[in-house]
Amino acid sequence: MLKYIIPTMMLMPLTWLSKNNMIWINSTLHSLLISFTSLLLMNQFGDNSLNFSLTFFSDSLSTPLLILTMWLLPLMLMASQHHLLKESPTRKKLFISMLVLLQLFLIMTFTATELIFFYIMFEATLVPTLIIITRWGNQTERLNAGLYFLFYTLTGSLPLLVALIHIQNTVGSLNFLILQYWAQPVPNSWSNVFLWLACMMAFMVKMPLYGLHLWLPKAHVEAPIAGSMVLAAILLKLGGYGMMRITLLLNPMTDYMAYPFIMLSLWGMIMTSSICLRQTDLKSLIAYSSVSHMALVIVAILIQTPWSYMGATALMIAHGLTSSMLFCLANSNYERIHSRTMILARGLQTLLPLMAAWWLLASLTNLALPPTINLIGELFVVMSTFSWSNITIILMGLNMVITALYSLYMLITTQRGKHTHHINNILPSFTRENALMSLHMLPLLLLSLNPKIILGPLY
Amino acid sequence: MLRRALRLRLGPCLSGRGLGTYRGGSTLDWDGKVSKIKKKIQSIFPGRAWSPLYDTSHLPPERSDVVIVGGGVLGLSVAYWLKRLEKQQGAIQVLVVERDHTYARASTVLSVGGIRQQFSLPENVQLSLFSAEFLRNINEYLAVVDDPPLDLQFNPSGYLLLASEEGAAIMERNVKIQRQEGAKVCLMSPEQLQKKFPWINTEGVALASYGLENEGWFDPWCLLQGLRRKLQSMGVLFCQGEVTRFISSSSHMETASGEQVTLKRIHEVHVKMDHSQEFQPVECAIVVNAAGAWSGQIAELAGVGTGPPGTMQGTKLPVEPRKRYVYLWHCPQGPGLEAPLVADPSGAYFRREGLGNNYLGSCSPTEEEEPDPGNLEVDYDFFQEKVWPRLAQRVPAFETLKVRSAWAGYYDYNTFDQNGVVGPHPLVINMYFATGFSGHGLQQAPAVGRAVAEMMLEGHFQTINLSPFLFGRFYFGEKAQEHCIL
Repeated sequence: MLKYIIPTMMLMPLTWLSKNNMIWINSTLHSLLISFTSLLLMNQFGDNSLNFSLTFFSDSLSTPLLILTMWLLPLMLMASQHHLLKESPTRKKLFISMLVLLQLFLIMTFTATELIFFYIMFEATLVPTLIIITRWGNQTERLNAGLYFLFYTLTGSLPLLVALIHIQNTVGSLNFLILQYWAQPVPNSWSNVFLWLACMMAFMVKMPLYGLHLWLPKAHVEAPIAGSMVLAAILLKLGGYGMMRITLLLNPMTDYMAYPFIMLSLWGMIMTSSICLRQTDLKSLIAYSSVSHMALVIVAILIQTPWSYMGATALMIAHGLTSSMLFCLANSNYERIHSRTMILARGLQTLLPLMAAWWLLASLTNLALPPTINLIGELFVVMSTFSWSNITIILMGLNMVITALYSLYMLITTQRGKHTHHINNILPSFTRENALMSLHMLPLLLLSLNPKIILGPLY
Repeated sequence: MLRRALRLRLGPCLSGRGLGTYRGGSTLDWDGKVSKIKKKIQSIFPGRAWSPLYDTSHLPPERSDVVIVGGGVLGLSVAYWLKRLEKQQGAIQVLVVERDHTYARASTVLSVGGIRQQFSLPENVQLSLFSAEFLRNINEYLAVVDDPPLDLQFNPSGYLLLASEEGAAIMERNVKIQRQEGAKVCLMSPEQLQKKFPWINTEGVALASYGLENEGWFDPWCLLQGLRRKLQSMGVLFCQGEVTRFISSSSHMETASGEQVTLKRIHEVHVKMDHSQEFQPVECAIVVNAAGAWSGQIAELAGVGTGPPGTMQGTKLPVEPRKRYVYLWHCPQGPGLEAPLVADPSGAYFRREGLGNNYLGSCSPTEEEEPDPGNLEVDYDFFQEKVWPRLAQRVPAFETLKVRSAWAGYYDYNTFDQNGVVGPHPLVINMYFATGFSGHGLQQAPAVGRAVAEMMLEGHFQTINLSPFLFGRFYFGEKAQEHCIL
């Protein structure tokens, strides 16, 4: 594991000691190299996990997430180059250090063996994200957004600390590898109800669950592009990953405790999809679409069947790449027109045809077109919820229709139609932007050829 | 407790009066301090307005989708129609930047407030027709919940344009065009004129055209306030400040025929606060130039007209401020309540003002006697020498008038063809114009606002085709000339 952590840590001296015109090149290139080494993690042993040491391990659930995390850092750096042009070199280096620090914490979170270590790193990821949102965001509302983000997540996760310490006291160890085999059925009692809630709420807020999702549109819209990318792609998956790990300890309470949250997620999935149809702000639309996709993941994790876990894992990876790509596309729009309102920038297909191709691909993957991994994830979740309860197929079907509706609405509004006069002289797509989109799309399309690597431990 | 202790200690010295009973509150002001601390703590909670930085509530926001420079009736009309024509509520953020919220020098409130359809360009007639319909139904267009309805004090007395022998043919042609567009205008011979309006001296008048419907005058201040109120309810931001700078970027592009052009786009608008050096850069996608008499200066800031003369880059916006006087006089023997707004072929005009035998009027000065637009001082000699003789010649009762007061206002005068400029600039691609109406801006404002909003949202004019009024005509030399201006 140190073979990932130490190079990531050393990215920081790399940026600080680089020459001013080489900071982007150095950091992007080296983080890309590190992301290639992450593929070594795929060499898993059968059912068991790859144990590096007592502190770090990775299994087929955390491997795809880790690869996604490390793949995303060069992409974030590429996407941020334009809006940081006018800043001083120290500020740029500071920004890159924040991203690297966040990357470090994320790697350690996904590979943590000890659950308290997981918790510490989970909380630690909040700090660089908050700094990125509030310092480099675009509008004055970003302070409010940062506050919402910080306090929602903190309040949700404080009970988790208490619960983890309680488990440590009663069981004696919080090492996940041991806990996997220790897991004893949790009897029904009021204190165990609170234990279940305390364990799960942190991740529910992070996912986010429909009733607790208020921080997400704010944080996503106000964050700079790198912040939006990492929030949508990785930080939401932290919640999913945590839920998948912690539910191992909470059986059989989950069978009945999960009902309210499943209901909330099923309802919320449709609600947030419908809100997307009424959005005028492009980034806000993509943020609500994230909530909708994550609601599917929550449902899948809470019903705890093998197929649903496979679907949840696949969906997390697919959504990470798709959402991140959509945010990059929205940002490329924003950098040219300085407005996030969709109707002010229309008909881009005639002006930027290649970017329109990326928009098309991203929208198609967002609406879960076969044979992409988005569809595989959604399909598995739909099938498993159908066998859990027949009625959910109506809701799921409705959700898929509305998802298709708003994805196509976004595509048609931004790309089709006659272009407005004031976008006549937008700059053509940069190679950097095209590279960014293709680096998002390539893994997504390649994974459709071999999706079993992202189907998680229950495959 | 501290207060009591202090009181006990100082009791013998301050006879009768304790510390706490000092008139105006205690010198230590505990209650004030506690409430201040409470307010501060409350404002830190999420959902309240708090910023750890200094208070910037007087500054405009850091970004806005559309920035409208100029808060007169044209700017507010564009804002209104933008908010009305947007597909979903709250889609577009609009910021109206107005330098002077007392509107002391704005053309809107200093205007005579007339509305007529008697133009010679069909577009002008259509614009005025729609505006008349807007003003007629203003309480449906500008309704705000819980606010009283607007009373525009619309006097539908009509316009009476008089023509001499030379102008009679033009007038007939104009009336035909007006009738084609749907305006209700009637032509009168001098005899009919004398019968209908006995107080007119028809000497030298060959033909008169009288607007029968949708013409008259109204209160421009009421329209302005109604628009402001409605816009505030629709979520448009107002800010007081002066636009001092545009930050823009240029890119060289090639047209389909192969010639090189440099297209410019405005990224930021610097809005400077009053009486201070503080300014706020507002990042924007579109800028609307509705600055009225000062549109020329705003256009120059954006780089319109900086180039070799004779090219599109070198074509300036030919709008400049021209001062016009308006005189108010009292004449008990005057025409009375039935008087329309009468426009003499010599250029003088007058209308009734109120119900107390007062009349407003003036005359357009010729090119040589243009007053200096540096200030808004009134020249009463102009009335004595130019306006009164003409008025007295046309309406004999006006020989015994008494001037009560006068004021001066600016026309946003389009020196090219005295008609408005609407639509985007071909080279500064995100600046839209809504200015240059040379004295008939107020009456056409609602329709022009809609046209500009359609141009911004759809890319072409949908309801009224104002292509003759685009900026390109200044370069191509195609005048959209109107034949008489008041």
